[in-house]
Amino acid sequence: MRISSFKYLVRQGWHSMVSNRLMTLASIGVLVACLMITGVAVLLSVNVGSYVDYLETFNEIEFFLDDAAPADVVENLKIQLPLAQNVSFCEYISKAAAVEDMRGWLGENGDVMNDYAGEGNEQNPLPASFRISLADVSQMADTVQRLQAMGAYAVTAADGSALTLNAFYRINSPTELSSTLVNLRRIVSYVGWGLVVVLGVVSVVVISNTIRLTVFARRKEINIMKFVGATNAFIRLPFFVEGMTVGAISALLATGIVGGAYYGLERALLQPNALWLNEFTRCMLPFFDIIGPLAGGFVLFGVAIGGIGCASSIRKHLKV
Amino acid sequence: MSTTDMIRFENVKKIYTGLDSKSADIVALHDVNLSIQKGEFVFVLGHSGAGKSTFLKLILREEKATEGRVFVNGRDLSRIRPREIPYLRRGLGVVFQDFRLIPSMTAYENVAFAMRVTNIPERQIKRRVPYVLSLVGLSGKAHSLPQELSGGEQQRIALARALVHSPPIIIADEPTGNIDPELSIEIMELLQAINSLGTTIVVVTHEHELAARFKKRTIMIDHGEVVDDGFAPHGREAAYL
Repeated sequence: MRISSFKYLVRQGWHSMVSNRLMTLASIGVLVACLMITGVAVLLSVNVGSYVDYLETFNEIEFFLDDAAPADVVENLKIQLPLAQNVSFCEYISKAAAVEDMRGWLGENGDVMNDYAGEGNEQNPLPASFRISLADVSQMADTVQRLQAMGAYAVTAADGSALTLNAFYRINSPTELSSTLVNLRRIVSYVGWGLVVVLGVVSVVVISNTIRLTVFARRKEINIMKFVGATNAFIRLPFFVEGMTVGAISALLATGIVGGAYYGLERALLQPNALWLNEFTRCMLPFFDIIGPLAGGFVLFGVAIGGIGCASSIRKHLKV
Repeated sequence: MSTTDMIRFENVKKIYTGLDSKSADIVALHDVNLSIQKGEFVFVLGHSGAGKSTFLKLILREEKATEGRVFVNGRDLSRIRPREIPYLRRGLGVVFQDFRLIPSMTAYENVAFAMRVTNIPERQIKRRVPYVLSLVGLSGKAHSLPQELSGGEQQRIALARALVHSPPIIIADEPTGNIDPELSIEIMELLQAINSLGTTIVVVTHEHELAARFKKRTIMIDHGEVVDDGFAPHGREAAYL
């Protein structure tokens, strides 16, 4: 296609938008509303995801060691546990370190631990332990089972029979919390994407109807174009330009509104009197991280919907 | 098919199938055989519902023959692919009874439109449009909107638009249907002048007087069949006069 023809068709598309400005404004309005709801759903989804990520850093599991566990088994665990699959962090807390932890926790009353302090103190009732964090909390139950199995060791009983014991006498794992977080993330993701799909379909229908009205208003023109030998691609282009321009304008408006609101919310949450929201604020994705993908996503979504809406409405009128 | 045939119908039958099982099929054309040679001026005459519109639709490949073959400008329309239809139509200038001008465009723009939508460079448009407007005697009205012109002038713009691609065939569907009798003669004389330059002209009309006045080959269609083909006035056509 010649550049002059292309320019002509683009001008035709814009001209049609101006001629049917009320319909154009109506479809921009509806598309902006759809994009805004979609954008809010996506932003909510990614921010809840970020908060869930933050909460997941508290997924510490404690494996308490039996005092009777042989030293060589414990030494082996010190080597093997950090290397185990799905373990992102592993720290060994000796009996003496557990006393110091407890002293810190008791604060002013920490002195009560004085009698139990010191390496090899026989009176120390606190067990040694491993504190482990996981890379993927959704596999917590399986991982705990696997790590527990690593604590198994064999001994010979007094009567000569073989026994299998475990170096871990107790395990504290927040399995319920992890499954709640995993479910929460899944629900937010499904709802977010569900909204994107539903609003996408609504937007296609709206754009499609607008273009259909424009096509109907210009059906004589289309008919003439067909009889003078215009190809279907040539006839379609101004409508595509119209649909995609409506999509792009709506995308820019929606970016301004949603981005502006997000920026305002971020500023408000950083105010000193909103520090009680600190937990959430620290997980909120920064405005400058989201604005690029948000604008890009809106433009792609808007332009694609404009194009699809146009394609679906003009087909019937091309059969001349 | 002879090399001078511009339009040829071979045993053409067109049936419009009923929309549902209760509506009957309509036979619009039945066993039509004819050929129109290069440079001919032909009237296709018939009453309303005789099959004239279907005849036109088959030439423009708006409809496909149910049986038989239609050749236009050397192309067999039963074998033509949908994407080739625009190129077929560029070789046919069409003039309609209702002019089909775009009201928001000037006379110049209406003619230029036919060139623009067929991807012709702007400089060629600027050269060609004033020329065809002068051919139809409307150079002075290039910047007028259709509603500012008389019916005859509007039809002349439509004719200029049909001529703009220098098509070898011009098809005029009731070209005088919406204009005064004096202006009708003007339009027909214009078509004759175009024909004298070698363009094949097919005028589809129900106006027997018009065909009789110009004494050209006349193909009579009645109930979907060609009932007469010759130079008017004669045969069944004479009976109408």
